[in-house]
Amino acid sequence: MELLLFDAFNGLIQGTFYALMALGLSLIISLNSVINFAHGGFMVVGAYLAYTLAPYIGFWGALFAGPILAGFIGIIVERTLVRYMYGRPDPIYSLLLTFGFALIIEDVVRTIWGAQGLPFEIPSALNSPVSTTYFFVTGYRLFVIAAIALATIALFAFLRLSRFGIRIRAGILDLETVSTLGVNVYLLRSVNFAIGTLLAGFAGVLAAGILQLAPTMGDDVIMATFVAVVVGGIGSLLGSVLGGLLIGLAAGVTTAYYPAASDVVIYIIMAVVLIVRPRGLLGQEGLFE
Amino acid sequence: MTDAVLKIENLQTYYGKSHILHGVSMEVAEGEIVTLLGRNGAGKTTTLRSLSGLTPPREGRIEIFGNDTTRWPAYRIARLGVGYVPEGRRIFPNLTVLENLAVPMTRPGPWTVDKVLELFPNLGTRRDSWGRQLSGGEQEMLAIARALLVNPKLLLLDEPSQGLAPLLVREVFRVVASMREQGISILLVEQNARFGLEVADRVYVLNDGQMIHSGPARELAKDEERVRALAGVGGKEDGVLTAKPKTSAA
Repeated sequence: MELLLFDAFNGLIQGTFYALMALGLSLIISLNSVINFAHGGFMVVGAYLAYTLAPYIGFWGALFAGPILAGFIGIIVERTLVRYMYGRPDPIYSLLLTFGFALIIEDVVRTIWGAQGLPFEIPSALNSPVSTTYFFVTGYRLFVIAAIALATIALFAFLRLSRFGIRIRAGILDLETVSTLGVNVYLLRSVNFAIGTLLAGFAGVLAAGILQLAPTMGDDVIMATFVAVVVGGIGSLLGSVLGGLLIGLAAGVTTAYYPAASDVVIYIIMAVVLIVRPRGLLGQEGLFE
Repeated sequence: MTDAVLKIENLQTYYGKSHILHGVSMEVAEGEIVTLLGRNGAGKTTTLRSLSGLTPPREGRIEIFGNDTTRWPAYRIARLGVGYVPEGRRIFPNLTVLENLAVPMTRPGPWTVDKVLELFPNLGTRRDSWGRQLSGGEQEMLAIARALLVNPKLLLLDEPSQGLAPLLVREVFRVVASMREQGISILLVEQNARFGLEVADRVYVLNDGQMIHSGPARELAKDEERVRALAGVGGKEDGVLTAKPKTSAA
Protein backbone atom coordinates (compact mmCIF):
# COMPACT_ATOMS: atom_id res chain seq x y z
CA MET A 1 0.00 0.00 0.00
CA GLU A 2 2.77 2.40 0.94
CA LEU A 3 4.58 1.53 -2.24
CA LEU A 4 1.48 2.30 -4.26
CA LEU A 5 1.08 5.64 -2.47
CA PHE A 6 4.74 6.39 -3.07
CA ASP A 7 4.44 5.69 -6.78
CA ALA A 8 1.13 7.47 -7.12
CA PHE A 9 2.51 10.55 -5.38
CA ASN A 10 5.55 10.51 -7.64
CA GLY A 11 3.20 10.19 -10.58
CA LEU A 12 1.17 13.14 -9.36
CA ILE A 13 4.31 15.27 -9.11
CA GLN A 14 5.32 14.17 -12.57
CA GLY A 15 1.80 14.94 -13.75
CA THR A 16 1.89 18.50 -12.41
CA PHE A 17 5.04 19.09 -14.44
CA TYR A 18 3.41 17.64 -17.55
CA ALA A 19 0.37 19.83 -16.90
CA LEU A 20 2.42 23.02 -16.56
CA MET A 21 4.45 22.22 -19.66
CA ALA A 22 1.33 21.24 -21.59
CA LEU A 23 -0.37 24.52 -20.66
CA GLY A 24 2.39 26.58 -22.25
CA LEU A 25 2.63 24.29 -25.24
CA SER A 26 -1.12 24.42 -25.69
CA LEU A 27 -1.19 28.23 -25.55
CA ILE A 28 1.47 28.38 -28.25
CA ILE A 29 -0.20 25.75 -30.45
CA SER A 30 -3.56 27.51 -30.14
CA LEU A 31 -2.61 31.12 -30.82
CA ASN A 32 0.72 30.88 -32.64
CA SER A 33 -0.26 27.76 -34.60
CA VAL A 34 3.22 26.44 -33.99
CA ILE A 35 4.02 23.04 -32.51
CA ASN A 36 6.92 24.08 -30.36
CA PHE A 37 9.39 21.21 -30.19
CA ALA A 38 11.79 23.57 -28.41
CA HIS A 39 9.43 23.77 -25.44
CA GLY A 40 11.60 21.34 -23.45
CA GLY A 41 14.57 23.51 -24.36
CA PHE A 42 12.99 26.55 -22.71
CA MET A 43 12.45 24.43 -19.61
CA VAL A 44 16.18 23.63 -19.56
CA VAL A 45 17.13 27.26 -20.16
CA GLY A 46 14.94 28.43 -17.28
CA ALA A 47 16.45 25.84 -14.96
CA TYR A 48 20.09 26.57 -15.82
CA LEU A 49 19.65 30.33 -15.65
CA ALA A 50 18.08 29.93 -12.22
CA TYR A 51 21.01 27.70 -11.19
CA THR A 52 23.50 30.34 -12.30
CA LEU A 53 21.65 33.21 -10.64
CA ALA A 54 20.79 31.42 -7.39
CA PRO A 55 24.17 32.12 -5.66
CA TYR A 56 23.57 35.85 -6.17
CA ILE A 57 19.84 36.28 -5.71
CA GLY A 58 18.97 33.16 -3.73
CA PHE A 59 16.54 30.38 -4.44
CA TRP A 60 13.47 32.58 -4.28
CA GLY A 61 14.90 35.21 -6.57
CA ALA A 62 16.03 32.55 -9.03
CA LEU A 63 12.62 30.92 -8.93
CA PHE A 64 11.21 34.09 -10.50
CA ALA A 65 14.20 35.28 -12.52
CA GLY A 66 14.74 31.97 -14.36
CA PRO A 67 11.23 31.79 -15.84
CA ILE A 68 11.15 35.51 -16.66
CA LEU A 69 14.41 35.18 -18.58
CA ALA A 70 13.04 32.10 -20.36
CA GLY A 71 10.03 34.22 -21.35
CA PHE A 72 12.32 37.00 -22.53
CA ILE A 73 14.30 34.56 -24.68
CA GLY A 74 10.95 33.28 -25.94
CA ILE A 75 10.04 36.76 -27.21
CA ILE A 76 13.38 37.08 -28.99
CA VAL A 77 12.99 33.67 -30.63
CA GLU A 78 9.43 34.46 -31.68
CA ARG A 79 10.37 37.84 -33.13
CA THR A 80 13.42 36.62 -35.01
CA LEU A 81 12.47 33.08 -36.08
CA VAL A 82 9.04 31.72 -35.27
CA ARG A 83 7.01 34.56 -36.77
CA TYR A 84 8.27 33.76 -40.23
CA MET A 85 6.45 30.44 -39.97
CA TYR A 86 2.99 31.99 -39.51
CA GLY A 87 2.29 32.50 -43.19
CA ARG A 88 3.14 28.91 -44.05
CA PRO A 89 0.17 26.59 -44.04
CA ASP A 90 2.36 23.47 -43.90
CA PRO A 91 3.30 22.78 -40.25
CA ILE A 92 6.46 20.95 -41.32
CA TYR A 93 8.39 24.25 -41.44
CA SER A 94 7.66 25.22 -37.86
CA LEU A 95 8.29 21.63 -36.74
CA LEU A 96 11.71 21.63 -38.39
CA LEU A 97 12.54 25.05 -37.04
CA THR A 98 11.61 24.34 -33.44
CA PHE A 99 13.09 20.84 -33.54
CA GLY A 100 16.37 22.30 -34.77
CA PHE A 101 16.18 24.97 -32.15
CA ALA A 102 15.67 22.35 -29.44
CA LEU A 103 18.91 20.65 -30.52
CA ILE A 104 20.73 23.97 -30.54
CA ILE A 105 19.55 24.83 -27.02
CA GLU A 106 20.67 21.46 -25.73
CA ASP A 107 24.14 21.86 -27.21
CA VAL A 108 24.53 25.45 -26.09
CA VAL A 109 23.62 24.38 -22.55
CA ARG A 110 26.12 21.52 -22.77
CA THR A 111 28.79 23.93 -23.97
CA ILE A 112 28.20 26.53 -21.26
CA TRP A 113 27.37 24.39 -18.23
CA GLY A 114 28.83 20.99 -19.20
CA ALA A 115 27.26 17.63 -19.89
CA GLN A 116 27.37 16.43 -16.29
CA GLY A 117 24.39 16.80 -14.05
CA LEU A 118 24.52 19.71 -11.61
CA PRO A 119 22.83 19.87 -8.20
CA PHE A 120 20.30 22.64 -7.57
CA GLU A 121 20.19 23.75 -3.94
CA ILE A 122 16.79 24.25 -2.44
CA PRO A 123 16.14 25.89 0.95
CA SER A 124 16.68 23.30 3.68
CA ALA A 125 13.37 24.33 5.25
CA LEU A 126 11.64 22.82 2.23
CA ASN A 127 13.74 19.70 2.11
CA SER A 128 12.64 17.67 5.10
CA PRO A 129 10.05 14.91 4.92
CA VAL A 130 6.67 15.81 6.31
CA SER A 131 6.39 12.53 8.23
CA THR A 132 8.44 9.38 8.75
CA THR A 133 5.75 7.05 7.42
CA TYR A 134 5.32 9.03 4.25
CA PHE A 135 9.03 9.79 3.86
CA PHE A 136 8.54 10.60 0.18
CA VAL A 137 6.28 13.55 0.91
CA THR A 138 8.88 16.26 1.38
CA GLY A 139 8.09 19.88 1.97
CA TYR A 140 9.58 20.70 -1.39
CA ARG A 141 7.30 18.31 -3.25
CA LEU A 142 4.26 19.81 -1.57
CA PHE A 143 5.65 23.21 -2.43
CA VAL A 144 6.01 22.18 -6.09
CA ILE A 145 2.37 21.08 -6.25
CA ALA A 146 1.22 24.32 -4.63
CA ALA A 147 3.43 26.47 -6.89
CA ILE A 148 2.19 24.77 -10.05
CA ALA A 149 -1.42 24.99 -8.91
CA LEU A 150 -0.92 28.68 -8.17
CA ALA A 151 0.70 29.33 -11.56
CA THR A 152 -2.16 27.52 -13.28
CA ILE A 153 -4.80 29.51 -11.40
CA ALA A 154 -2.93 32.74 -12.13
CA LEU A 155 -2.86 31.93 -15.84
CA PHE A 156 -6.57 31.15 -15.97
CA ALA A 157 -7.36 34.32 -14.02
CA PHE A 158 -5.23 36.31 -16.45
CA LEU A 159 -7.06 34.80 -19.42
CA ARG A 160 -10.46 35.38 -17.85
CA LEU A 161 -10.06 38.79 -16.27
CA SER A 162 -7.50 40.85 -18.17
CA ARG A 163 -8.18 42.47 -21.53
CA PHE A 164 -4.99 41.02 -22.89
CA GLY A 165 -6.03 37.55 -21.77
CA ILE A 166 -9.49 37.94 -23.26
CA ARG A 167 -7.88 38.94 -26.56
CA ILE A 168 -5.69 35.83 -26.44
CA ARG A 169 -8.80 33.65 -25.98
CA ALA A 170 -10.56 35.47 -28.81
CA GLY A 171 -7.50 35.10 -31.03
CA ILE A 172 -7.31 31.36 -30.43
CA LEU A 173 -10.55 30.97 -32.36
CA ASP A 174 -10.44 33.91 -34.77
CA LEU A 175 -7.26 35.94 -34.93
CA GLU A 176 -8.34 37.67 -38.12
CA THR A 177 -11.41 39.23 -36.52
CA VAL A 178 -9.33 40.28 -33.52
CA SER A 179 -7.03 42.17 -35.90
CA THR A 180 -9.95 44.02 -37.51
CA LEU A 181 -10.83 45.34 -34.05
CA GLY A 182 -7.55 47.24 -33.86
CA VAL A 183 -5.60 44.74 -31.78
CA ASN A 184 -1.95 44.36 -32.68
CA VAL A 185 -2.02 40.61 -33.24
CA TYR A 186 1.72 40.44 -33.86
CA LEU A 187 2.33 41.71 -30.35
CA LEU A 188 -0.39 39.42 -29.03
CA ARG A 189 1.35 36.40 -30.51
CA SER A 190 4.79 37.45 -29.26
CA VAL A 191 3.60 37.90 -25.71
CA ASN A 192 1.63 34.67 -25.87
CA PHE A 193 4.74 32.77 -26.98
CA ALA A 194 6.64 34.36 -24.12
CA ILE A 195 3.97 33.33 -21.60
CA GLY A 196 4.31 29.77 -22.88
CA THR A 197 8.08 29.70 -22.58
CA LEU A 198 7.89 31.41 -19.18
CA LEU A 199 5.71 28.56 -17.91
CA ALA A 200 8.24 26.08 -19.33
CA GLY A 201 11.04 27.91 -17.54
CA PHE A 202 9.06 27.80 -14.29
CA ALA A 203 8.61 24.05 -14.69
CA GLY A 204 12.36 23.81 -15.29
CA VAL A 205 13.36 25.58 -12.08
CA LEU A 206 10.92 23.55 -10.00
CA ALA A 207 12.06 20.30 -11.61
CA ALA A 208 15.69 21.18 -10.97
CA GLY A 209 14.99 21.05 -7.24
CA ILE A 210 13.78 17.46 -7.46
CA LEU A 211 16.00 15.97 -10.12
CA GLN A 212 19.31 17.50 -10.89
CA LEU A 213 20.12 19.75 -13.79
CA ALA A 214 21.05 18.06 -17.04
CA PRO A 215 21.11 19.36 -20.63
CA THR A 216 18.71 16.57 -21.58
CA MET A 217 16.15 17.17 -18.85
CA GLY A 218 13.78 18.68 -21.43
CA ASP A 219 13.85 15.55 -23.60
CA ASP A 220 12.39 13.40 -20.85
CA VAL A 221 9.40 15.69 -20.49
CA ILE A 222 8.62 16.93 -23.97
CA MET A 223 7.11 13.74 -25.42
CA ALA A 224 4.89 13.24 -22.39
CA THR A 225 3.89 16.89 -22.70
CA PHE A 226 2.74 16.35 -26.27
CA VAL A 227 0.80 13.31 -25.13
CA ALA A 228 -0.82 15.40 -22.38
CA VAL A 229 -1.93 18.02 -24.92
CA VAL A 230 -3.37 15.42 -27.27
CA VAL A 231 -5.11 13.49 -24.48
CA GLY A 232 -6.57 16.69 -23.05
CA GLY A 233 -7.68 17.93 -26.43
CA ILE A 234 -5.84 20.38 -28.68
CA GLY A 235 -7.18 23.87 -28.15
CA SER A 236 -8.33 23.24 -24.58
CA LEU A 237 -6.11 24.64 -21.85
CA LEU A 238 -8.05 22.97 -19.08
CA GLY A 239 -7.79 19.74 -21.07
CA SER A 240 -4.01 20.08 -21.12
CA VAL A 241 -3.94 20.33 -17.33
CA LEU A 242 -6.17 17.28 -16.94
CA GLY A 243 -4.22 15.38 -19.59
CA GLY A 244 -0.94 16.09 -17.82
CA LEU A 245 -2.21 15.02 -14.40
CA LEU A 246 -3.87 11.92 -15.86
CA ILE A 247 -0.87 10.53 -17.67
CA GLY A 248 1.49 11.40 -14.80
CA LEU A 249 -0.71 9.60 -12.32
CA ALA A 250 -1.21 6.66 -14.67
CA ALA A 251 2.52 6.27 -15.18
CA GLY A 252 3.05 6.43 -11.40
CA VAL A 253 0.44 3.82 -10.57
CA THR A 254 1.72 1.55 -13.33
CA THR A 255 5.20 1.77 -11.80
CA ALA A 256 3.84 0.21 -8.62
CA TYR A 257 2.56 -2.88 -10.41
CA TYR A 258 4.65 -3.26 -13.51
CA PRO A 259 7.51 -0.75 -13.68
CA ALA A 260 8.60 -1.74 -17.17
CA ALA A 261 5.29 -0.54 -18.62
CA SER A 262 5.31 2.90 -16.99
CA ASP A 263 6.74 4.60 -20.09
CA VAL A 264 4.41 2.82 -22.43
CA VAL A 265 1.21 3.39 -20.51
CA ILE A 266 0.94 7.07 -21.49
CA TYR A 267 1.01 6.15 -25.17
CA ILE A 268 -1.61 3.49 -24.58
CA ILE A 269 -3.80 6.13 -22.95
CA MET A 270 -3.24 8.41 -25.91
CA ALA A 271 -4.13 5.66 -28.38
CA VAL A 272 -7.31 4.78 -26.47
CA VAL A 273 -8.36 8.43 -26.24
CA LEU A 274 -7.71 8.98 -29.93
CA ILE A 275 -9.78 5.95 -30.87
CA VAL A 276 -12.69 6.58 -28.50
CA ARG A 277 -12.68 10.36 -28.57
CA PRO A 278 -10.42 11.77 -31.28
CA ARG A 279 -10.86 15.36 -30.15
CA GLY A 280 -9.34 14.56 -26.74
CA LEU A 281 -10.99 14.85 -23.34
CA LEU A 282 -12.01 18.51 -23.59
CA GLY A 283 -11.04 19.33 -27.16
CA GLN A 284 -13.32 21.09 -29.57
CA GLU A 285 -15.46 19.12 -31.88
CA GLY A 286 -14.40 18.82 -35.46
CA LEU A 287 -10.71 19.54 -35.09
CA PHE A 288 -9.71 15.98 -35.82
CA GLU A 289 -13.01 14.32 -36.63
CA MET B 1 -14.95 64.40 -54.52
CA THR B 2 -12.36 65.92 -52.26
CA ASP B 3 -13.94 64.86 -48.99
CA ALA B 4 -13.76 61.15 -49.70
CA VAL B 5 -13.15 59.09 -46.57
CA LEU B 6 -12.48 56.05 -48.71
CA LYS B 7 -11.07 55.93 -52.19
CA ILE B 8 -10.02 52.74 -53.90
CA GLU B 9 -8.48 52.58 -57.34
CA ASN B 10 -8.03 49.65 -59.66
CA LEU B 11 -7.95 46.90 -57.01
CA GLN B 12 -6.64 43.56 -58.22
CA THR B 13 -7.14 41.03 -55.48
CA TYR B 14 -6.38 37.31 -55.49
CA TYR B 15 -7.11 34.38 -53.22
CA GLY B 16 -4.03 32.34 -53.88
CA LYS B 17 -4.08 31.89 -57.61
CA SER B 18 -7.69 32.82 -58.27
CA HIS B 19 -8.10 36.36 -59.47
CA ILE B 20 -11.19 37.81 -57.74
CA LEU B 21 -11.18 41.58 -58.21
CA HIS B 22 -10.38 42.88 -61.67
CA GLY B 23 -9.77 46.58 -61.24
CA VAL B 24 -12.36 47.73 -58.73
CA SER B 25 -12.58 51.46 -58.05
CA MET B 26 -15.00 53.28 -55.78
CA GLU B 27 -15.39 56.13 -53.32
CA VAL B 28 -17.27 56.85 -50.13
CA ALA B 29 -17.75 60.49 -49.16
CA GLU B 30 -17.91 61.76 -45.61
CA GLY B 31 -21.28 61.07 -43.98
CA GLU B 32 -22.42 58.98 -46.90
CA ILE B 33 -24.04 55.54 -46.91
CA VAL B 34 -22.91 53.55 -49.91
CA THR B 35 -24.29 50.13 -50.76
CA LEU B 36 -22.37 47.56 -52.73
CA LEU B 37 -24.64 45.09 -54.48
CA GLY B 38 -23.86 42.07 -56.56
CA ARG B 39 -24.51 38.41 -57.12
CA ASN B 40 -23.11 35.78 -54.89
CA GLY B 41 -19.41 35.48 -55.68
CA ALA B 42 -19.23 38.85 -57.42
CA GLY B 43 -16.40 39.98 -55.13
CA LYS B 44 -18.28 42.09 -52.58
CA THR B 45 -16.78 40.45 -49.51
CA THR B 46 -13.36 40.39 -51.17
CA THR B 47 -13.63 44.14 -51.69
CA LEU B 48 -14.29 44.67 -47.98
CA ARG B 49 -11.50 42.24 -47.04
CA SER B 50 -9.12 44.11 -49.32
CA LEU B 51 -9.76 47.48 -47.84
CA SER B 52 -9.83 46.30 -44.24
CA GLY B 53 -6.35 44.84 -44.70
CA LEU B 54 -7.31 41.16 -44.40
CA THR B 55 -6.66 40.30 -48.05
CA PRO B 56 -4.43 43.07 -49.40
CA PRO B 57 -4.73 43.68 -53.14
CA ARG B 58 -1.89 42.66 -55.39
CA GLU B 59 -2.29 45.86 -57.35
CA GLY B 60 -4.19 49.07 -56.92
CA ARG B 61 -4.41 51.69 -54.23
CA ILE B 62 -6.55 52.16 -51.14
CA GLU B 63 -6.81 55.54 -49.48
CA ILE B 64 -8.63 55.92 -46.17
CA PHE B 65 -8.97 59.38 -44.60
CA GLY B 66 -6.17 60.52 -46.91
CA ASN B 67 -3.71 57.76 -45.88
CA ASP B 68 -2.43 55.23 -48.37
CA THR B 69 -3.36 52.08 -46.45
CA THR B 70 -2.86 49.63 -49.31
CA ARG B 71 -0.13 47.68 -47.50
CA TRP B 72 -1.16 48.33 -43.91
CA PRO B 73 -1.94 45.45 -41.55
CA ALA B 74 -5.59 45.17 -40.54
CA TYR B 75 -5.08 46.40 -36.99
CA ARG B 76 -3.54 49.68 -38.12
CA ILE B 77 -6.41 50.31 -40.52
CA ALA B 78 -8.87 49.67 -37.69
CA ARG B 79 -6.98 52.11 -35.49
CA LEU B 80 -7.46 54.80 -38.13
CA GLY B 81 -11.15 54.57 -37.31
CA VAL B 82 -12.47 51.79 -39.53
CA GLY B 83 -15.06 49.46 -38.01
CA TYR B 84 -15.61 46.11 -39.67
CA VAL B 85 -18.65 43.89 -39.24
CA PRO B 86 -17.67 40.71 -41.04
CA GLU B 87 -19.84 38.35 -43.01
CA GLY B 88 -21.39 35.79 -40.69
CA ARG B 89 -20.78 38.14 -37.69
CA ARG B 90 -17.85 36.12 -36.40
CA ILE B 91 -18.74 36.57 -32.78
CA PHE B 92 -16.22 34.93 -30.47
CA PRO B 93 -18.29 31.93 -29.35
CA ASN B 94 -16.05 31.10 -26.39
CA LEU B 95 -16.35 34.60 -24.93
CA THR B 96 -19.27 36.18 -23.10
CA VAL B 97 -21.06 39.21 -24.53
CA LEU B 98 -19.09 41.52 -22.23
CA GLU B 99 -15.84 39.75 -23.10
CA ASN B 100 -16.62 40.12 -26.80
CA LEU B 101 -16.92 43.84 -26.13
CA ALA B 102 -13.58 43.88 -24.31
CA VAL B 103 -11.65 42.71 -27.38
CA PRO B 104 -11.65 45.94 -29.46
CA MET B 105 -8.85 48.43 -29.02
CA THR B 106 -11.02 51.41 -28.15
CA ARG B 107 -10.17 54.73 -29.75
CA PRO B 108 -11.29 57.83 -27.95
CA GLY B 109 -14.82 58.77 -28.98
CA PRO B 110 -18.46 58.67 -28.01
CA TRP B 111 -18.87 54.87 -27.96
CA THR B 112 -18.31 52.99 -24.72
CA VAL B 113 -19.52 49.61 -23.53
CA ASP B 114 -22.35 51.31 -21.65
CA LYS B 115 -23.36 53.29 -24.73
CA VAL B 116 -23.51 50.30 -27.07
CA LEU B 117 -25.51 48.34 -24.50
CA GLU B 118 -27.90 51.28 -24.41
CA LEU B 119 -28.19 51.11 -28.19
CA PHE B 120 -28.83 47.36 -28.04
CA PRO B 121 -30.73 46.73 -24.80
CA ASN B 122 -31.07 43.03 -25.67
CA LEU B 123 -27.34 42.60 -25.37
CA GLY B 124 -27.42 44.22 -21.97
CA THR B 125 -29.74 41.58 -20.61
CA ARG B 126 -27.49 38.86 -22.02
CA ARG B 127 -24.19 40.35 -21.01
CA ASP B 128 -22.94 37.20 -19.33
CA SER B 129 -24.17 34.77 -21.99
CA TRP B 130 -21.62 33.01 -24.17
CA GLY B 131 -21.34 34.23 -27.74
CA ARG B 132 -22.39 30.80 -29.00
CA GLN B 133 -25.67 31.02 -27.08
CA LEU B 134 -26.87 34.15 -28.89
CA SER B 135 -29.49 34.15 -31.63
CA GLY B 136 -28.58 35.34 -35.11
CA GLY B 137 -30.08 38.76 -34.42
CA GLU B 138 -28.25 39.13 -31.13
CA GLN B 139 -25.01 38.09 -32.79
CA GLU B 140 -25.50 40.75 -35.46
CA MET B 141 -26.12 43.40 -32.80
CA LEU B 142 -23.03 42.24 -30.92
CA ALA B 143 -20.92 42.36 -34.08
CA ILE B 144 -22.07 45.93 -34.74
CA ALA B 145 -21.59 46.92 -31.09
CA ARG B 146 -18.09 45.44 -31.11
CA ALA B 147 -17.17 47.41 -34.25
CA LEU B 148 -18.62 50.62 -32.80
CA LEU B 149 -16.27 50.38 -29.82
CA VAL B 150 -13.40 51.12 -32.20
CA ASN B 151 -15.21 54.48 -32.53
CA PRO B 152 -15.15 54.29 -36.30
CA LYS B 153 -15.49 57.15 -38.72
CA LEU B 154 -16.04 54.58 -41.45
CA LEU B 155 -18.07 51.44 -40.89
CA LEU B 156 -17.86 48.43 -43.19
CA LEU B 157 -20.86 46.12 -42.95
CA ASP B 158 -20.86 42.77 -44.72
CA GLU B 159 -24.40 41.45 -45.20
CA PRO B 160 -25.83 42.46 -41.85
CA SER B 161 -29.31 41.25 -42.86
CA GLN B 162 -28.15 37.73 -43.76
CA GLY B 163 -30.34 35.07 -42.20
CA LEU B 164 -32.34 37.50 -40.07
CA ALA B 165 -36.12 37.65 -39.70
CA PRO B 166 -37.76 40.69 -41.34
CA LEU B 167 -38.32 42.45 -38.05
CA LEU B 168 -34.65 42.15 -37.17
CA VAL B 169 -33.62 43.33 -40.62
CA ARG B 170 -35.65 46.48 -39.90
CA GLU B 171 -33.88 46.86 -36.59
CA VAL B 172 -30.46 46.51 -38.20
CA PHE B 173 -31.28 49.13 -40.80
CA ARG B 174 -32.68 51.49 -38.21
CA VAL B 175 -29.33 51.28 -36.47
CA VAL B 176 -27.39 51.71 -39.71
CA ALA B 177 -29.40 54.79 -40.57
CA SER B 178 -28.83 56.23 -37.10
CA MET B 179 -25.07 55.80 -37.54
CA ARG B 180 -25.15 58.39 -40.27
CA GLU B 181 -26.54 60.91 -37.82
CA GLN B 182 -23.45 60.24 -35.72
CA GLY B 183 -21.32 61.32 -38.67
CA ILE B 184 -20.17 57.79 -39.50
CA SER B 185 -19.71 56.99 -43.17
CA ILE B 186 -20.92 53.53 -44.13
CA LEU B 187 -20.04 51.03 -46.80
CA LEU B 188 -22.69 48.35 -46.84
CA VAL B 189 -22.50 45.07 -48.69
CA GLU B 190 -25.90 43.51 -49.24
CA GLN B 191 -27.65 40.66 -50.97
CA ASN B 192 -30.92 42.13 -49.86
CA ALA B 193 -31.19 44.75 -52.58
CA ARG B 194 -34.40 46.30 -51.34
CA PHE B 195 -33.02 47.28 -47.98
CA GLY B 196 -29.58 48.02 -49.34
CA LEU B 197 -31.08 50.56 -51.72
CA GLU B 198 -33.54 51.98 -49.24
CA VAL B 199 -30.94 53.02 -46.73
CA ALA B 200 -28.18 54.16 -49.13
CA ASP B 201 -27.28 57.44 -50.80
CA ARG B 202 -25.36 55.84 -53.60
CA VAL B 203 -24.96 52.35 -54.91
CA TYR B 204 -22.30 50.35 -56.72
CA VAL B 205 -22.93 47.01 -58.39
CA LEU B 206 -20.18 44.42 -58.74
CA ASN B 207 -20.20 41.52 -61.14
CA ASP B 208 -17.37 39.03 -61.64
CA GLY B 209 -14.95 41.33 -59.86
CA GLN B 210 -15.77 44.43 -61.90
CA MET B 211 -17.95 47.45 -61.25
CA ILE B 212 -20.84 47.37 -63.65
CA HIS B 213 -22.91 50.19 -62.22
CA SER B 214 -22.65 53.19 -59.97
CA GLY B 215 -25.16 55.91 -59.23
CA PRO B 216 -27.71 57.33 -56.81
CA ALA B 217 -29.52 54.64 -54.83
CA ARG B 218 -32.94 56.24 -55.20
CA GLU B 219 -32.76 56.07 -58.99
CA LEU B 220 -31.98 52.36 -59.00
CA ALA B 221 -34.49 51.56 -56.28
CA LYS B 222 -37.30 52.63 -58.59
CA ASP B 223 -36.23 50.27 -61.35
CA GLU B 224 -36.72 46.74 -60.10
CA GLU B 225 -36.05 45.13 -63.46
CA ARG B 226 -32.73 46.90 -63.64
CA VAL B 227 -31.78 45.77 -60.15
CA ARG B 228 -32.55 42.19 -61.06
CA ALA B 229 -30.55 42.44 -64.26
CA LEU B 230 -27.56 44.05 -62.56
CA ALA B 231 -27.36 42.28 -59.25
CA GLY B 232 -29.41 39.17 -59.77
CA VAL B 233 -31.50 40.04 -56.75
CA GLY B 234 -34.82 41.78 -56.90
CA GLY B 235 -36.94 43.84 -54.62
CA LYS B 236 -39.79 41.55 -53.81
CA GLU B 237 -39.23 37.85 -54.39
CA ASP B 238 -35.64 38.05 -53.34
CA GLY B 239 -36.40 40.31 -50.46
CA VAL B 240 -35.94 39.67 -46.80
CA LEU B 241 -37.13 36.13 -46.47
CA THR B 242 -35.03 34.64 -49.22
CA ALA B 243 -31.95 36.77 -48.60
CA LYS B 244 -29.84 33.74 -47.77
CA PRO B 245 -28.07 33.07 -51.03
CA LYS B 246 -25.67 30.49 -49.66
CA THR B 247 -28.37 28.14 -48.46
CA SER B 248 -30.84 28.56 -51.28
CA ALA B 249 -30.41 25.84 -53.87
CA ALA B 250 -30.68 26.92 -57.48
